[in-house]
Amino acid sequence: MKTNDVIMQFTAKLVFFIIFFFAVHLFFAGHYTPGGGFVGGLVTASAIVLLIIAFDLKTVQTILPINYINMVAIGLILALGTAAFSMFTGKPFFTHYYDYFNLPILGKTSLHTAALFDLGVYLVVVGVTMTIIQTIGEDE
Amino acid sequence: MSFQILLNLFLAFLWMFLSSNYSLSRFIIGFLLGLALIIAFRKFFKSRLYIDRVWSVIKLSFLFIKELILANVSVLVLVLRPRLELQPAFFKYDTKLTEDWEITLLSSLITLTPGTVVVHVSDDSKSLYIHVLDSNDIDETIDSIKNTFEKAILEVSRS
Repeated sequence: MKTNDVIMQFTAKLVFFIIFFFAVHLFFAGHYTPGGGFVGGLVTASAIVLLIIAFDLKTVQTILPINYINMVAIGLILALGTAAFSMFTGKPFFTHYYDYFNLPILGKTSLHTAALFDLGVYLVVVGVTMTIIQTIGEDE
Repeated sequence: MSFQILLNLFLAFLWMFLSSNYSLSRFIIGFLLGLALIIAFRKFFKSRLYIDRVWSVIKLSFLFIKELILANVSVLVLVLRPRLELQPAFFKYDTKLTEDWEITLLSSLITLTPGTVVVHVSDDSKSLYIHVLDSNDIDETIDSIKNTFEKAILEVSRS
């Protein structure tokens, strides 16, 4: 029996973008204020889960055709690569580099390699959470 | 409507490029000039002015705040009565709205004003099933929904 979920589906479509933006904000806020890769990844995963609840697994997979297991692999390579990069220059493992750059629009910005490591963490968290939920959800 | 907004933005950018001064104040002046032009030549457009629609949205939000306060006061009066003489009931409300966002907005507005809760939308999205707290004045409730929320939403969405 299919009920008419017009309210739920429309609201989910709208709220998804708000939650996703909040997740990106959390990710970038992590260096100086509370937040970071782990929380951002979990909030992103929760936004996708909201879509899955409002629609269904197959619809969401056609909307977001992401292979989450590959996402975990890419995240691990990013995190390890950022950590191992300094070994090639004779510095210890996990030495981070940062500097201030004058970007064309943003002006003076501090770029830190810890952000790349955080991006790896973010991808791993999103991938693992979504893999768990999809694997459980597909079991009929 | 979206064409008018794009045209207005384009005119604002054109104004910035003409005066070769790329600041926010220039952009705002250009935007206001473009708006004045669009209002002056409103006979050219098939749909209504977008500023009209913005005004309708503002009116709808004020109406919602007013209704929210009034309805909460009425529920407070109901709760504080020594004897509850309520007659809860379900009724079907046929709506004229067709779009998904309109139905969602109307249902949210009905649910957020106490005394009425939308419990189900029919499969063809033509009618809402509403639970009402006091069934003595159902016709009054239907009329109030029709004349306030539905009218205001139609006001926003008509082209």
